[in-house]
Amino acid sequence: MRGTDYVVKRVLFAIGTVFVAITLNFVLFRSLSGDAVSALRCRGCSQDFKEYQRKTLGLDKSKWEQYKIYLGDLAQGDMGRSLRTEEPVTSVLWEPLKTTIPMVALGTLFAIVFGVGTGVIAAWRRGTATDKATLWGGLGFYSMPPQWLGLVIVLFISGWVGLPTSGVKDPTLGILDDPGVIEVVVDRLEHMILPALTLGLVVFGEYTLIVRSAMLETLGEDYILTSRAKGLTNWATVWKHGFRNAMLPVITLVALSLGFIIGGAITVEYVFSYPGIGLLIVEAIDQRDYPVLQAAFLLLTLSVIVFNLMADLLYFRLDPRVTE
Amino acid sequence: MKRRRSGRLMLVLLGTVALVAAGSAAWLGSQRATASSGAAAASKAGGSGILRIGTTSYIDSFNPWNYIEGQGLNAMIMTYPLLVQVDYSNKEGYFITSDFAKSWKASTDGKTWTFKVRPNGKWSDGKPMTADDAAWTINTTVKYVDGATAVQGSSVNHVVRATAPNSTTLIVKYDAPVGNALWLIGALPIVPRHVWEPYEKKQKGGKALKTYRPEGKLPMVTGGAYTLKSYEKKGTTVFIADPNFYGPKSNADAVALTFYTNSDSMIADLRRGNLDWIDQVPFGAVSAVKKSKGVKVNEWPGGEITNITWNSNSRKLKNRELLDPRVKKALSMCVNRDKMIQVVFGGYATKVESLVGHISPFENPNLGPTQYNCSAANKALDKLGYKRGSDGIRVAPATSGKYAQPAHAMSYEVIIPTSLDFNGTRMFEILKEGFAKLGVTARLKVGGDATASYALETDAKCDGSKNIGYSKFDIAMWDWIAGPEPDFQLSVVTKGQWCSWSDTGWDNPAYDKLYGQQGVTVNPAKRRAIIYKMQKMVYDAFVYTQLTNHVALDATSTKWTGFKNELNAFSKTYYTSPKKS
Repeated sequence: MRGTDYVVKRVLFAIGTVFVAITLNFVLFRSLSGDAVSALRCRGCSQDFKEYQRKTLGLDKSKWEQYKIYLGDLAQGDMGRSLRTEEPVTSVLWEPLKTTIPMVALGTLFAIVFGVGTGVIAAWRRGTATDKATLWGGLGFYSMPPQWLGLVIVLFISGWVGLPTSGVKDPTLGILDDPGVIEVVVDRLEHMILPALTLGLVVFGEYTLIVRSAMLETLGEDYILTSRAKGLTNWATVWKHGFRNAMLPVITLVALSLGFIIGGAITVEYVFSYPGIGLLIVEAIDQRDYPVLQAAFLLLTLSVIVFNLMADLLYFRLDPRVTE
Repeated sequence: MKRRRSGRLMLVLLGTVALVAAGSAAWLGSQRATASSGAAAASKAGGSGILRIGTTSYIDSFNPWNYIEGQGLNAMIMTYPLLVQVDYSNKEGYFITSDFAKSWKASTDGKTWTFKVRPNGKWSDGKPMTADDAAWTINTTVKYVDGATAVQGSSVNHVVRATAPNSTTLIVKYDAPVGNALWLIGALPIVPRHVWEPYEKKQKGGKALKTYRPEGKLPMVTGGAYTLKSYEKKGTTVFIADPNFYGPKSNADAVALTFYTNSDSMIADLRRGNLDWIDQVPFGAVSAVKKSKGVKVNEWPGGEITNITWNSNSRKLKNRELLDPRVKKALSMCVNRDKMIQVVFGGYATKVESLVGHISPFENPNLGPTQYNCSAANKALDKLGYKRGSDGIRVAPATSGKYAQPAHAMSYEVIIPTSLDFNGTRMFEILKEGFAKLGVTARLKVGGDATASYALETDAKCDGSKNIGYSKFDIAMWDWIAGPEPDFQLSVVTKGQWCSWSDTGWDNPAYDKLYGQQGVTVNPAKRRAIIYKMQKMVYDAFVYTQLTNHVALDATSTKWTGFKNELNAFSKTYYTSPKKS
């Protein structure tokens, strides 16, 4: 019963957070100066047209009315239409999302594999040159703004490694010939590597530091001393007793950062002209496209909340003490 | 034992390094393979191959009734016929030339224009392209001008009706003579009637005309120099040369236009040979790009003009001394424009006095120039009664009447938008230095993006019909992109543009009357005289202090020649003329 209570509480808390986020998303973007119509910078757009457009898009209604309509539509799964293109928001979001997710996944995978690996090694080799190099390297990458790191990679690394710095595909691929599937896949992967690496390096720094710290704490526990006294190998001690127990805070960290990492992709996508959700958000802010912004931020909020909930539930599974 | 464990660790590390190295080699190899396959494809085509262009502005739409971005207009110029287009020569500057219309003439009263269009035009789906398509496009734009087709409203200004008595004759009737009729109607892409007419009838008020995305489902029916192979709003859009095009064919087999969010990546790709042409080079990057092997930086007359924007609304509430042209002139005289040109624009700009800019053949050459002379400016302010306080800052005396204001220090906020394509903050610093020499304080106010900055100028609630708006801001520094035809630039200081394009709040009925007159004056000499007078009115009132007119800069690969850089968003020649050298 205790376990069920815990799960129900967590889920209810998540639902409440989503509702607060929905409301905040509505208020936040409308506090920006101007609206979708005043953001229309077309030379032929007369004042009469702008009034017509404001009415067509429902921007002439009071904020309260707009909020009620927004909630009503959302309850029916309707995220509205883009104020600029008048296309359904779901289809506006879909393409960029398909572009962002693989890049973020690759970056996260890189960060987890190398962050956890180097963190464990640094803790295991505490006080050695390896530990110091890992510590300073982790601190360095963690403190770098992603857009700055991205620019450094564009200006100084990309030419050296010969990888593309913009977009998702080679502009000339398939224009005058018919590329094979492998050629297309390789091309897409090549375009994904540098933005994913940028994102991954920043997150990698964070993972390394946290894993090292958690491992150091665990390796100082009595049961580690006991396992050594029992004559277990170094590997068995670190892997079976140290690593598994140190993973609890790491799981929380990974789950939380998975949610935030999509938001973090905004600046990286901007540097690499990567047409994902980040670029869409920048464009929607410029155009005061409220429905697109609301939906995109709802998506970001949901990803944080869902991954947070997953971490809570996983914690419950891994460590029964949380319900006590 | 310890040594064995260290050995294992070393083995794991070495393995990882080997994997990374092998992976990198594979990536590098495939990168080279991709590059060579692109080159092979280009040579296979037999023509000049693929012209690869980088740009920092994107194509938002191929729907002429629902686009905003200049790159969208450029794309439609390439894929749709226009009645007329714009050409450029060093001698004449910009002038109208033929496109789908071979010839044209106006009636003596200037209210009827007759166009003879090309007889053998074909849409990309094989259907004939006739004068009827042009007539339908014009009439549909007129029909829904207050709604679905409003974006093209200015193209059909004063048009009553267009008719096509036969397949090669188009007659356009106006309710008044229009001085710039060809410039206006030439900006309207002609769409295939057989494709678009069903959308007109689909929804009340022709609403589907606005929401239809022809690029959404390829092949899109085109009629310009290119067909559309693929479209990616924030990626690469590919145009393929159309062999059936009625005009001069493209030298390149295809044009690939790639969008970049920032010029750093774009320049990096040009220098590496991944691009043949970038349509803009930031002023700060010119010298670095010039040093690149196989790259040439090109200069031509630019339309971008920067200015000090003075709130000129006579109903403004505070700092009303800034409504006095003598005060604005004195302040302007101590702004070092030469320094701005060198520091901000790297020398790639010239001083300008008129709001229509150097790009327009209608620029009044007899304005000013406003001379840089801080000593004379100080004397002028002294003479006007703005004495320095104990802190060295001048004080504006108290005034009485409807808009009474207490005595106050001459200290002003200057709005700088964040969306500028040059270093606005550095520009402000130079203005601040000049003002300081006069005992006047300038404070930077970051305006945010264009929409937010404009809202600061107009106020949150703006209504021109009730004279509400433009009550708070004092000064901004911004820019305009002027075109050869000056009508739009002249309009931005009319009352009709309040809350829409006016960024000064100026309200001068005499000027507005002249604006109306120039619009319906067909005689070029008479129209020029009116336009000169209007420019002088704006100059004398110091609605703006014009600062600099940029040189337009782009960069091209030396492997290509024949660029017509100055025809960006003016003519199909912009894409069709470059060829492999």
